Amino acid sequence: MVDKSTKAARGTVQCENTNINLLKANDFVADIIKKEMAKTNTLLINITSSAGSGKTTLMQKTAEKLKDKIRIAVMVGDLETERDADRIRETGIQALQIVTGGICHLEAQMIHQVLDQFDLENIDLLFIENVGNLVCPSSFDLGEDYRVTLMATTEGDDKPKKYPKMFLTSDMMLVSKADLLPYVPFSVEAVTKDAREVNHELEVIQISSLSEEGVDEWCDWLLEKIEQKKG
Amino acid sequence: MHETSIVNSIMRTLEQEFETEKLNKMKTIHLKVGILSNIEPRLLYNAYEASQMMNPEYHHVKLKIEMTELKIECEVCDHITDVKNYRFICDNCERPSKNVIQGEEMLIHKVEFDD
Repeated sequence: MVDKSTKAARGTVQCENTNINLLKANDFVADIIKKEMAKTNTLLINITSSAGSGKTTLMQKTAEKLKDKIRIAVMVGDLETERDADRIRETGIQALQIVTGGICHLEAQMIHQVLDQFDLENIDLLFIENVGNLVCPSSFDLGEDYRVTLMATTEGDDKPKKYPKMFLTSDMMLVSKADLLPYVPFSVEAVTKDAREVNHELEVIQISSLSEEGVDEWCDWLLEKIEQKKG
Repeated sequence: MHETSIVNSIMRTLEQEFETEKLNKMKTIHLKVGILSNIEPRLLYNAYEASQMMNPEYHHVKLKIEMTELKIECEVCDHITDVKNYRFICDNCERPSKNVIQGEEMLIHKVEFDD
């Protein structure tokens, strides 16, 4: 603690009101990514959720359903291993693993660094599968057009109020693992109500990559957003 | 890990914003962070201390964090509501609103320098 007398002894204290965003460095790079994507009209979607809610399985299913209609690529962030990228590649689409080495979220700089590995001219839809975590990734803009958050029925329907920032900054909530609804104490109505109290514009689809419930609706949503981006 | 990234971002931003000569006179960094920013002051102070060990040139620079509560302003009736329990609904007209006017900040609000 510096008291007044110490201040006086040191001379005048000059103050600058800066009001700079803490994540200015990140947001600056996110803007660069946005501009890059605008050049080729590639739709960029940031997929977030907690760990184990089915992001990679959804990527596989989406690739399987849409790869003959559109050109898809995925970059996937994890703390370690290339397992997720391997799984996605098995479906025949391009996938790149970003190993964060312990960092709990993806930052715009990490995306920008690998962007030149993709031939964006020939990609309609680029997914960023974020690190499984409902907290930290919510603060980092990756230059995405839309943020989609998965919320698995096995996680419990109380998550939107516990992790409000993620749901406030998302455009779509996918209630995943819907095939397990008969076996788990999870109310889609309750989770939707809570999520919409946080973000009344949030779109919601109930989905299961296994039973394929909601998968067509999800794919139609993606195709519509790609159309819009292509103008 | 999140806090370390934020501290790095703060230091990188300040280095871009100010000349080295001025940075050497930096005395206090004031942050203003909203309740919705997912920033826990205690952890950020710890991360800042750790960063000071790596960057001894800033060892004398203090960090102060001010937290702000959540407020929304209704687009329809202009009423300002203190958001409780993450219920983003206007107190006055009961309409939902995403118009957050306070509580989302992550700002380097003010920087003090020795003259």
